[in-house]
Amino acid sequence: MTIIPVHHTQHETTSSAPPVGGLDSVAEQFVQLVAPDGTLTRQGEAHRLDLGLARTLYRDMVLARRFDHEAMALQRQGELGLWLMSWGQEAAQVGSIRALRPSDMVFPSYREHAAALCRGIGPAELLAQWRGCVHGGWDPTAHRFHIYSLVLGTQTLHATGYATGVAMEGTDEVVAVYFGDGAASQGDVNEAFNWAAAGSLPVLFFCQNNHWAISTPTSRQMRTPIHRRAAGFGVRSFHVDGNDALAVHEVTRQAAEHIRSHGGPALVEAVTYRRGGHSSSDDPDRYRAPAEVEAWEARDPVARLRTLLEEHDTDPGFFAELQAESDAFALTVREACRGLADPHLRDLFAHAYAEPHPQVERDRRDFLAHLAQAGSVV
Amino acid sequence: MTTSSTIGTTSSLMTMGAALGAGLRSAMEDDPRVLVMGEDVGVLGGVFRVTDGLHKDFGDRRVVDTPLAESGIVGTAIELALRGYRPVCEIQFDGFVYPAFDQIVSQLAKMRARSAGRLALPVVIRVPFGGGIGAVEHHSESNEAYFAHTAGLRVVACSDAHDAFHMLRQAVRSDDPVIFFEPKQRYWQKSVVEPDAGLPLDRARIRRTGTDCTLVAYGPTVATALAAADAAEEDGYSVGVVDLRSLSPLDLATLEAEAERTGRVVVVHEAQTFLGMGAEVAAAVTESCFYHLEAPVLRVGSYHLPYPPARVEDQFLPDVDRVLEAIDRSLGFGEA
Amino acid sequence: MTTTRNEFALPDVGEGLTEAELVKWHVSVGDTVRVNDVLCEVETAKAVVELPSPVDGVIGALCVAEGETVPVGTVLVTFGQEAASDAVPESVTAPEPDEQAPTVLVGSGPRAPGARRRHLRPRGGRGTPRPAPGGSDRPRAAPPVRKLARTLGVDLAALAAEAPGGVVTRTAVERAAHAKTPAAQAEPPRETRVPITGVRRATAAAMTRSVFTAPHVTEWLTVDVTATMDLVAALKRDRDWTGVRVTPLLLVAKAFLLAIRRYPEINSRWDEENQEIVRQHYVNLGIAAATPRGLVVPNIKEAHRLDLAGLAAALDRLVTAARAGTTPPADMTGGTITITNIGAFGVDAGTPILNPGEAAILAFGAVRPMPWVVDGEIRVRQVTQLALSFDHRLVDGELGSHVLAEVGRILHDPARAILHV
Repeated sequence: MTIIPVHHTQHETTSSAPPVGGLDSVAEQFVQLVAPDGTLTRQGEAHRLDLGLARTLYRDMVLARRFDHEAMALQRQGELGLWLMSWGQEAAQVGSIRALRPSDMVFPSYREHAAALCRGIGPAELLAQWRGCVHGGWDPTAHRFHIYSLVLGTQTLHATGYATGVAMEGTDEVVAVYFGDGAASQGDVNEAFNWAAAGSLPVLFFCQNNHWAISTPTSRQMRTPIHRRAAGFGVRSFHVDGNDALAVHEVTRQAAEHIRSHGGPALVEAVTYRRGGHSSSDDPDRYRAPAEVEAWEARDPVARLRTLLEEHDTDPGFFAELQAESDAFALTVREACRGLADPHLRDLFAHAYAEPHPQVERDRRDFLAHLAQAGSVV
Repeated sequence: MTTSSTIGTTSSLMTMGAALGAGLRSAMEDDPRVLVMGEDVGVLGGVFRVTDGLHKDFGDRRVVDTPLAESGIVGTAIELALRGYRPVCEIQFDGFVYPAFDQIVSQLAKMRARSAGRLALPVVIRVPFGGGIGAVEHHSESNEAYFAHTAGLRVVACSDAHDAFHMLRQAVRSDDPVIFFEPKQRYWQKSVVEPDAGLPLDRARIRRTGTDCTLVAYGPTVATALAAADAAEEDGYSVGVVDLRSLSPLDLATLEAEAERTGRVVVVHEAQTFLGMGAEVAAAVTESCFYHLEAPVLRVGSYHLPYPPARVEDQFLPDVDRVLEAIDRSLGFGEA
Repeated sequence: MTTTRNEFALPDVGEGLTEAELVKWHVSVGDTVRVNDVLCEVETAKAVVELPSPVDGVIGALCVAEGETVPVGTVLVTFGQEAASDAVPESVTAPEPDEQAPTVLVGSGPRAPGARRRHLRPRGGRGTPRPAPGGSDRPRAAPPVRKLARTLGVDLAALAAEAPGGVVTRTAVERAAHAKTPAAQAEPPRETRVPITGVRRATAAAMTRSVFTAPHVTEWLTVDVTATMDLVAALKRDRDWTGVRVTPLLLVAKAFLLAIRRYPEINSRWDEENQEIVRQHYVNLGIAAATPRGLVVPNIKEAHRLDLAGLAAALDRLVTAARAGTTPPADMTGGTITITNIGAFGVDAGTPILNPGEAAILAFGAVRPMPWVVDGEIRVRQVTQLALSFDHRLVDGELGSHVLAEVGRILHDPARAILHV
């Protein structure tokens, strides 16, 4: 069973020059505004509670969870080849993405379905690649949300490069990148930390520490928490209860503000839990204790926020309407999935190169000739 | 799935994945220096369950769940080997081998030559490769040519349970670094493992003899080639199939003998045709068998595109029809 | 699609799985189910998973028993027509799969290579081969056909004009080869061509170089060598010389070496580049030898130091190696003067060509019984002809004559050799 540590370290001193590593970058404290039982913590009471925001985040999470479960069922029904659930991580995703501006560029990994939905990516777009129709389901520029990266950690360097462009142009855009605890072991991620810090680049590294990389627990993956590691690189780091949507929102807001005021990169480690297996191919019962799973069920982000809203006199009609909306949404998701058109290889030859490539041309002709001959007897 | 460690003296029917696991188990029992390392290979038993049961029997020290870093897996295996161990690394999927590419090509392949023969690196790197399982991006690559092109590495590909078991044991015993490709679309297919290996690691296997044309394949396309040969037989042609097994080195003697027998060769692999293994086979066979060839050596691979989304992979990968078209084209050259 | 309105088949739930065991049914025939209600649990090689219903409906039939293992694609359950009010609408059914795409499941794992649509054309049914591209004038034919044409002496170019598709076939070549008249067939070819390679090429180059560089003069001497032949016979009988190969050539070589010792200027070479005549104080004696590969001239190093037995051994080794073709490369260079034994071919004399770089070469002819004048009377004696060619740039007629005469004197009277010992 994992114990969530609570740090109380010295306050950060602001200075104009970015600090070179050291304690200045370590997270001040573990931020939690709403306890797992739905009540406000001491920090939460000190912080102004925004019920409107809470309702927005709650709705986001409910719809995201419904989408996620529907997708999993579709996989089991043979409609999707593979599905990776974001179950359990809804608060970490919606809390963070809602704290960014819509114009901030986001680089996800492959599990940020809740964040994607908040950015306006539709169910069909989100499901298309898992159904095997395309490799990238949406236009990154339309949603300021890059297509999923399946190679672990690679997107952290991409975000860093993008942020280099932002820095050259001098705008106050934040470039956010999502990655997990397992991915943090990849060389690329550590290169990105150092690179962004050395260049004081406007990158918001958002790590969802969901405690598992397929069957590898974080205790095997690393020896020090990610927020401490990033701080060592010189990245201003935050540590938050990833299942507390309001806390995630607040911390992300602060991190973004730090970045926008040219304070250099920031990292938020959101402590959460992967409720499902790594993917629809995984069998988490092989390596996880039921007691652990139950303990995290008790820290569920959606239930906790519902309790908070109920305790703060939210109209029951709100929940009823949301339920109806969720049911209708599930149907939309199902229809969207089964309505996805099958691709044809003949259309893909044009996508490999910008300029004509003789080998691709030859292959395309061969493919068409092959189709024409299929079934023929001379 | 069987957990027997040795094949013993009788034949056994098992899946290719189980045969690999049994081969590893037997190698570990034979030599305490043999280690297994990779992501999720221990407690989980591997995403394809190849290493299932090994962690329970051999423990943490010999079956290592590594952090999520392929470069780290290979890099640390290299030094373990220099310390006297014989690591068997697992790369989870072909498309994820690239972070380790530098360690493989710059270090693993070169260490022996760099040290004028003093330093041996008996490391095996197992890579599930190939497509045909409806997977997402990066999970269906055929990147064997990059490794076969690299001097200092041995590169092999099994195609069934029997070769999976025996070749893996032979690879572990080899003092050279071996990149061991496993066709993932065959992991669950059952076939018989005979007690006797029958062939050394660097030889090709003649799966089927023929007189009109020779198909050369390895890994997942061996089954495709055999199916095409059956189909050709229905049409009245006798087509042979050679399972290369070893990509570096190539068993040229076997290839030449078959090429001389039929005069027509067609190479079949999932990898893109352009600069794939077929190109080397074609050049080598043409050079040594020029006067025996009735037709140029033809190659059937996939098109020069990145591996497409799963729904169109059947259009992309070579299938029986495309192989038959190539055989037909070959037969059409210089017919008297 | 995996699912029609009425059936649900087992999908591949784990990236390449081929089969699953049905562990437990969660529904029975006649049950009403809604979308995503759990129908059953199946166990694959990777995990136990629950399969949710794809449609609203009534369970029509359970097609697989608990405990049964079935391949991916097997229909597990069928649904009846009655459906709940918010059933999946008709418009949801997926469009017809592309005709080209095989009817497989999403993520349906390894498919059998199987179903073919293509057939091979029958033998001989391929008609004319595709005309080969390109504008080269060379006739087109497959490599084995090309070789065959060469072997049979058939001209491909002549056949190319009528070849279908411009490619000459094996049959056409064979037909052309047999088209010659029977009589003509019996006649041997008028010419045979042998490529100029290897030893032949080297020999030709050496000869040409030698002849056109050094002005050659040849002098002859006919000698009564009866005494030498008697000596050879005697040595062959001599027990001390058992195992030593004694031949007339041996004695000629010894005589030549002794003559060279007396007239060392003959053992020189002309150094054009440095404009010097180099007199060598060692004799590497070349012996011209006919081998299966052609003429080679290996030499015996430091021959002047060898006594007769040593010379015999060296000569024996040299001749054996030359015949076997195993002469080491070092023996082929560095020669200073040469003997050529043309007598071995039954020839009397000749005008030998100098080995390039050398100043003289001695030809030794056949030894024949001939009438000779001895003490004023005609006797039958063993007579041979010696011919010495020399490079007139550095060897004058006087020197050449002296050397030739000396060799003759020694062979005529081997006892004279004592004077040189």
